[in-house]
Amino acid sequence: MYEHTSYPLREGLIEAHEKVWESIAEPGPFWTGTERIAMVVESRAATSCRLCAKRRQALSPYAVDGVHDNETDLDAVIVDMIHRVRSDPGRITRNMFDQVMAAGITPEHYIEIVGVVNSSVIIDTLHAALGLSLAELPTPQPDAPTGQPRANVTDGGAWVPIAVGNERPGMINGLSNNREPNIARSMGLVPSAVELFFTAFRPHYALQNIPLDLKQSQAEFIASRVSALNQCFY
Amino acid sequence: MLLRASGQPDQKDYDLNSVTDGHIDPGVDFGHWLRSLTEAAIRNRWDDLATIRDQAGAAMGTQSMVDALVVASGFNGITRVADATGIPLDENTQQMTVDMRESTGIERFNYAEKSDRFDFVTT
Repeated sequence: MYEHTSYPLREGLIEAHEKVWESIAEPGPFWTGTERIAMVVESRAATSCRLCAKRRQALSPYAVDGVHDNETDLDAVIVDMIHRVRSDPGRITRNMFDQVMAAGITPEHYIEIVGVVNSSVIIDTLHAALGLSLAELPTPQPDAPTGQPRANVTDGGAWVPIAVGNERPGMINGLSNNREPNIARSMGLVPSAVELFFTAFRPHYALQNIPLDLKQSQAEFIASRVSALNQCFY
Repeated sequence: MLLRASGQPDQKDYDLNSVTDGHIDPGVDFGHWLRSLTEAAIRNRWDDLATIRDQAGAAMGTQSMVDALVVASGFNGITRVADATGIPLDENTQQMTVDMRESTGIERFNYAEKSDRFDFVTT
């Protein structure tokens, strides 16, 4: 991965992204490797989907019905979820989450999708930002979903139960007291999704002493600007 | 929110409204180039970004330019995790940023306000 760029990327970031890419192709606790790769395919399809484009132009994305330009056999409600997360994250509401649940998707299944899609968003965004072709998708590994033990979660005021906290410190670099912020607890229903996502994210940021050629204030400005552009409250 | 926290050790003042207002100078080094790189990357303006990369790299150094895109791409993912899970602010952040969220317009991004604005629009 990234072998065709002359831009200086740190080895740790490349290794992390390669590890994540391989992991996405493996069966997760609730989805097969084939389904996880299909999630990435749909995330990419959302960037050129005509329905998503119409929704972005609308006063509300929930006022526009239609069929997505989907490229996989994933269930329509999952395709819709992935396309919304990829193409218009700032206007996701509880309504979307409730519609997914009403279709019989469990919160655990939902969280695994969130983890896979957004890990791939990080990797795809960096490729595109550096002027590179998107990484070739890995071959899905066979076998059924692995399942998982019941996660240790609590009601933390999110749409899904979140990790109790301080069980998996170190997801974000630079925390002085191993305190887990809510964002690191948000996918606690599926610990492997936490691991997958933060393996991809960790080389991109630290809360202090950032190990990049940027001052902390510069990194915070970029982070805050992205949050504003994506209309992210957190 | 994070920008104010990091400004304290620097003993510098940053204009937090620069986060939501693209015309305000944030006061950080190479703020213009950081903004240009970030906005082009997050808004998928790939053709513009090719030129911006060259110009920003010449101004601030290639490694810094690349690292700016590294931070932006990471946050393009993590903001979606927050948006898709409805995760609330951490308690201390919630308490410390009430005024700032109002003055910068960030409060408009909270989940209840989004539901009010988007869920019941039918035309």
